[in-house]
This record gives sequence, structure tokens and C-alpha cells, in this order.
Amino acid sequence: MSARDRILGRVRQGLSGSGTVSLPDRGRPRGPHVTWPSQDRVQRFMACSLRMGTTLQRAGTLEEVPSLVARYLGSHGLPLCGVAWPSLRNMEWVGAGLALEYREAHAGDAVGITSAFCALEETGTLLLVSGPETPASVSLLPETHIALLDAGRLRPHMEDAFDQVMESFSTWPRALNFISGPSRTADIEQTIVIGAHGPARVHVVLYGQ
Amino acid sequence: MKLTSFAFKGNVRRQLGNAVLQDNMKRFGGRFVKARAEAMQQVDNLEALRLAATQVRDHTLAHLEEYLTAFEDCARKRGTVVHWAETSEDVNRIVLNIAAAGGVSRVVKSKSMVSEETGLNEALASAGIETIETDLGEYILQLADEPPSHIIAPAIHKNLDEVADLFSSRHHTPRQTDIPALCREAREQLRPHFLSAQMGISGGNFLVAETGSVALVTNEGNGRMVTTLPRIHVAITGIEKVLPTLNDLSLILRLLTRSATGQDITNYVSLLTGVRGPDDLDGPVESHVILVDSGRSGLLGTDLQPALRCIRCGACMNHCPVYQVVGGHAYGWVYPGPIGAVLTPAYVGLEKALDLPQASTLCGACQVVCPVRIPLPELMRVLREKSMERRLRPWTERWLVMLWRWVAAQPALYAVVTRWAARVLRWAGGRSGLLHHLPGLDGWTEGRDMPAPQGQTFRDLYRRKAP
Amino acid sequence: MRVGLFVTCLVDLMRPRIGFAVVRLLESAGCHVEVPSTQTCCGQPGFNSGDRESGRRMALRFLQDFESFDHVVVPSGSCTGMIRVHYAGLFPEAPDVQARLDRLAARTHELTEFLVDVLGMKTVSGRFEGTVTYHDSCSGLRELGIKQGPRTLLASMPGVVLQEMSQPEVCCGFGGAFSVKLGNIATRMARDKCEDVLSTDADVLVAGDLGCLLNLEGCLRRMGNTRTQVMHVAEVLAHVHGDERK
Repeated sequence: MSARDRILGRVRQGLSGSGTVSLPDRGRPRGPHVTWPSQDRVQRFMACSLRMGTTLQRAGTLEEVPSLVARYLGSHGLPLCGVAWPSLRNMEWVGAGLALEYREAHAGDAVGITSAFCALEETGTLLLVSGPETPASVSLLPETHIALLDAGRLRPHMEDAFDQVMESFSTWPRALNFISGPSRTADIEQTIVIGAHGPARVHVVLYGQ
Repeated sequence: MKLTSFAFKGNVRRQLGNAVLQDNMKRFGGRFVKARAEAMQQVDNLEALRLAATQVRDHTLAHLEEYLTAFEDCARKRGTVVHWAETSEDVNRIVLNIAAAGGVSRVVKSKSMVSEETGLNEALASAGIETIETDLGEYILQLADEPPSHIIAPAIHKNLDEVADLFSSRHHTPRQTDIPALCREAREQLRPHFLSAQMGISGGNFLVAETGSVALVTNEGNGRMVTTLPRIHVAITGIEKVLPTLNDLSLILRLLTRSATGQDITNYVSLLTGVRGPDDLDGPVESHVILVDSGRSGLLGTDLQPALRCIRCGACMNHCPVYQVVGGHAYGWVYPGPIGAVLTPAYVGLEKALDLPQASTLCGACQVVCPVRIPLPELMRVLREKSMERRLRPWTERWLVMLWRWVAAQPALYAVVTRWAARVLRWAGGRSGLLHHLPGLDGWTEGRDMPAPQGQTFRDLYRRKAP
Repeated sequence: MRVGLFVTCLVDLMRPRIGFAVVRLLESAGCHVEVPSTQTCCGQPGFNSGDRESGRRMALRFLQDFESFDHVVVPSGSCTGMIRVHYAGLFPEAPDVQARLDRLAARTHELTEFLVDVLGMKTVSGRFEGTVTYHDSCSGLRELGIKQGPRTLLASMPGVVLQEMSQPEVCCGFGGAFSVKLGNIATRMARDKCEDVLSTDADVLVAGDLGCLLNLEGCLRRMGNTRTQVMHVAEVLAHVHGDERK
């Protein structure tokens, strides 16, 4: 008998007598979520993002984004080069004066540019989905993470984001990363310090209506 | 982790005399409490959330076999190797086998309390594998060669000075005394390890049966590093950590982060499923999940089963007045505070942790804040009953309980005994009305006086006064 | 209204004056008070030490002594909690006994709970002068939900100024046998509590449970404090000017 059989045997034995409902009967019920006073969806998202330490700016259209990113980097004294998702390679980065490489992140990359699959109004959270064109390391290794977000992709709750992923992907993605602001730690004297192992700066460029 | 729960009283004496710990507890102990209270104030349906989360956990435990096998099926389809470990030794052996097969010489770890249970770091070291803890708190403790004292803030017992000394002596760098600089130093020290390790080991906050995923909840980003960069990822978690669906995960996370640190959500919530795809540019090529029993299945179907609901938020210890006085090390194992007072005896044996269920005034503060409504005082009482039944408590204690029960069941005898006790103790209290020392009650009178009785029992006085 | 007073073992042995204060409060509210002389203890010390049988025997004793009353009043949140919350599961094999106990438990009240919730009292006739700080005893607070009642009554006394501690809900470290078994932890908890009490500069520390009061009084005195009075809430509420405390 394998360890698996012995463990499951003990589980079965321990629970013997308790009623059994088979899996499909339960389905995927939603539990209660946190509610908030009705508010403009974009406003709500932005307010929550700011609370988590994310900075934001609005762009009218996707076309405006590269020059806004260049301006953001310049005004913060950050290099105008870095790594971006391959999925973003067709945007006018060069015209905006940015030298980007489209790949996974490497040790020396100072800036990483990604695009959120969707975002949560409840907590001001970005959802990034990994894939061949969207490597997970780009939102992780560089000290500055810039994420594009289509305002039409705001969803109220995490459950809605999961539903959206289910609709959009036939195979469940390897990594879903919900990101809420820059990395942080409070492990020394309970004092919050921004910038632990992940990015120290998360900047969202919100485009569209 | 080295077990010292059997020496609780000695541990307590040491910790009460540990000036740094006492100072840290006074300065920081209340911060989690305040943060949680503020976070919960924003939630207008907290009790609905707690009830739903409790029901999800109870439902999962009641159908644990189904959800574990469902998780296993889904995970396997995505290329994850699912291992089953009955004991701590099994866990360590499985990890070592994976490491040997993968030619691993360096491991980076994010926080895993189960690996503390098993003593995995020691096992890896003795196999010649370099292991680096990457959660800042765990990293500090690895440098100091100390066990964690809190499940969320493992190094809460260390102060800034100690960390500064530790970093400068171990890193051979100038001594930094400001907290951001120390965090920066840790980041710089650890970055090369993330990039060079062949294996990343993480815990698993939850497993999702619906998708075969491991869910990780972190703030520092080290959990993401450990599960993204090395070629091999191994997640180690208890069999009770499975959740049926993504919706259940969403619900539980709302309570976990608010209960733990007072955050609406942590900086990162990662849902990891399988291995990197053929065209993926990053992610592990090998993915393993180790499902650990190590005593957990023994709680199913018993009075202690509700303890398996635990989602490891740490709120019970943050709100426990005993934990706040003695700190986590006194409990002598991985899980301190009220949940530790239940899990430790349940997992390592009651006779090895006899004083832990006694280490509570049953004040109930833990139960009130537990996001999954674990009746912790009741569970500690259950363990006290088992200690009595198995005659594990000192004979004096058992004898006193029996004597009181016998006397109190006989009103006439009880009247005589209390009448005399009131008189004698009144006399012993003298003019001050305070007993400074009372044989048999040294535990009390060592630190506090015992106010003496008035001298006559209420019932005697009342009878005489009544018409 | 026939009210049985379950005075509790601690008040009976240590502080009869609390029992008399309760009688005074109840009688002045128009209750007919009786004190069954065969009452002993609620069984909590043994029950919390892991001896279920203590709970069972004392529950039967309690049933015998008090079943005939309209209401039972207890000057302790802890003993009331034992009766109301923990008696509930003691006799699974004897449903009839359990049902009688459950009915009796439902008529059993902690003192301030009884005064406020059952009698609808908003003020008391006692007279007391001084700054008072109220400690929420754990069982009363968390098992019975007693929080505002005692404060309302205390605040209704013209001479009383209520001054809250920074953490009135944190346990004082008594915990029954805990206070002896793990006395050094209990002492540290009591000291933290006493420091909180002293920081209010109150003349009187008040609580609804004698266990907490003995613990805190003993701690205050050992700390060298002789100024802060320690009184049961009944003593303050029933206080008559010129009343000499023994």
C-alpha cells in the first residue's frame, strides 16, 4: 500500500459516518464579498490602488501610452530602457525614445513593462497572466514595474477575474499573479518598508474609458 | 524544528526574563491588533464572511478525500508531480530525492511552516545542499540560527540592534542601523541566490482542487521569485489546506489578509498551476506538490477537527494575552499561541506538550477574532479533559479536583469546610488583610498577594441576619 | 418575582459583603430574594481543569437548589457563563435532565444583565463618589456579551466618573487554576492590567467577577499600591453613603 492509500484511508476512516455530498452538487457558489458605497468604477479602483502604494496616471488611448511611460521614467530619473512583454512589441516605444527588449526579465533590468489582464475594484489589484508572450518575471525582477491597464477591464471582485480567465483561456494559465502595489516587508520591528524582493515602484497607466 | 514544548514552564521562565523579547512585545505586540481592527471596521458584513468561510472549511474537511484526489488529478494533468508524505521524515526524503534527481546544489526557500515541522533545512544541509531562507524574517533567523516565534512575523522577537549586528557580522558589511537600509542589504544579498538556485521550495497557503493550483500569499515577492526563477519548484503543504474552488479561495483570502496583517489584500497573491509551457520564457520546468499528513488525519472525526479549519492568519496569537507575555518560543514548536496549544499536542503527542492547553485563561479573545471560528478555548478544554482521563496531570492536581468535587457535592460538609477556611485564612491575613505567602498557592503568592477572606461565609452571615 | 441568589463559591468564602450588596440591589428593585443554603459551586474550577464530571455533579446540585425560582441571579459573569454556555452539553445521555437544565440556564443571569435587561433598570439608588474604571471580565464580555450594562448603571450614579482604561477588554490573568498553575504568566498579565488601571488615575477599580478582583487587588498591593480601591460592581451600585467597608 502506498503512502497515498494509507493517508486517504485514514481520512476516510476519520470521516466515516459524516454525510457525503458529491462534488458537482456544490458547484462554484460565491461567498459574500466586501461591499462599498456605489462609486465610479475607475475612481474606486484608483483610490484602492493608491492605498496599496501603486501610482497611476490616465491616458486617453493606447497610442498615447509609450510617450507617457517615457515621460514618467524621465521625470523619476529612471533609465529609458528595460524589458517589456513580447505581447507589447508592436507599440511605438522606439518613437517615444524607449529602448526595450521583449523577453523575460534578467538580473540587470531596471524597468519592466507589462499589461494587466484585468484589475479588481475591490482592492485596487492588477491581475497578470503568464504565457509565452507574457512572462511572469517582467513584473518581478525589475525595480520599477509599469503596468498598462485598459479601463474596460476593471472587474469588481476576484471571483469576476477568475470567471474572466476561464472564459478567455482554454488551458488554465501557469501563473496568475494578483499584484497590489510595490513589494514590502515589516519583518524588522514591524516597520513597513517598501521595496523588498519584488519591485519598489508599481506604476499603472490606465487607458481607454 | 527542535521540540521543547514539554519544557513549557522552563521556557516561560526564560522568556519572562528575556528583556529584548519583553520590550519587543510591548512595543510591537499591539500593532497587529490595531491593524486588524481597522481593517475589519471597513467590512460591514464580517460575520457573514466568517460564517461562509467556516462553512467552506468544514465542507472541505468533510469531503477531504474527494477534494484531495480532485486536486491531484488536475495538478497531474498540468505536469505537477503530486507526492504524499505520511511523516516529517517522508517529506524530507521526498525533497532530497527530487534534489538528487535534479542535480540540485542550491535551494531558495520562501516561508513554509510545514518545512519547520519536518526540519527540512537540516536535512538538506546534511545532504550537502545549500539552503537559503528568503523571507526577510526567516532569513534573519537563519543567520541567527533560531526558530521562528510567530507564523506571520517569524522574527518578531528580534530588535533592530540585533538584526544590525547580525547582518554586519554575517555579511561582513558596515553596520547599518536604519531599517530600510537593512532591508536593502537583504535584497542585495539574496538576489544572486534567487538567480542561481536550481530549486525553489515554498509552502502553500492553499491548494485549489478545481484547477490543481497552489495559492501563495506574500508581500515581499520572495515567494514569486522562488516559484518563478529556479528550474524546480517544490510546494510543501498540509492535506487540510485544500479548497474546492477559486470562489472559495477568493472568499477566504478576504479574511486571511485582514485577520493577519490588516491588509485588504497582500501585495502578491499567486496562483501556480503546473509547469512552464513549451513556448513559455520563464517558470519552473519541474513542479512538485508534497501533501503532508504528519498527524493531521488523526484529527478528522474527533472533537479537535475544527482546528484543521485553520488558515494560519496568526490572529489568535496576536490577540492572546498569554502569547503577548511569553512570546512564541515558549510554546516550543512551530505553531505558538492558542492554535499551537491545540495543534502541538495533537501533532506531537499530548504527553510531550502537556502544559500547552493549560497555558490559557480561556479568555476567549482568540475565538472572537478567528476568521474561521475555531472554538479554541473549547478545544483546549478538550485537551485538558484528555490529560485528566489519561492521568497525565500531576497527582496533586487531580486529587485537588476530585476533592473539591467531592466536598462541593455535599452541602453540609461544604459548609463546615468553607466556614473553617474563611476563619483560618482571615486569621492568617492579619491586620493587612493580605496573605503574602500561602503554602500550596506559591504560584499565586510569588508575584501577587492574596487578599484574605472577610472571616465568615456569606451563607452563615445571611442565615443569622434573616428573620 | 421570586429570585434565587447564587452567590458563587468565591463571594461566599471571600467577600460576603458583595452578596449583601446584591441582595440590597435586588430587594430595592422589588424582588423577593432567597438564598438556598445548600448551594455550593457551579463546577467551573474542575470543569476547566478537564474534569467534566465536576461540571455534571455541580449542574445537578444547581438544578436541585434553583429550579423552583423565576430567575436566578449570579454576581459573576464567569459562573453565569458556566451555567448558560457550558451546562448546555453536559447530559447528552439524559435529554430530560438536559432540557430542565437548559430551561433553568435561560432564567439565570449575571447581576448587571438582570438589572438592565430583565428589570429594565437604568439608574440605581446607591450613592458613590469617585472616579471608577471598569474591567470587562472575559466570560461576561465574550460569553454573555456584557459591555454597556454595568457602565450605564455606574454612569447613572451622580457622584461617579467613569474613566476607561486603554484596554479594558484584555484578560487580567486570573483564569481560575491558571493563576496558580502558571502563576508567573498570570502575574505578568495582572501587572500589565494594573498599570493600565493606574494610568487612569481612578479611585476605584470595578469589575463584575471576584476572581479578577482578587487577582488585581493582590497584584496592586504587591506593587505597593494602597490607594486604589478594588470593588465588585454590586458594591458600588448598592453603596450607601457612610457605608463602612470591613
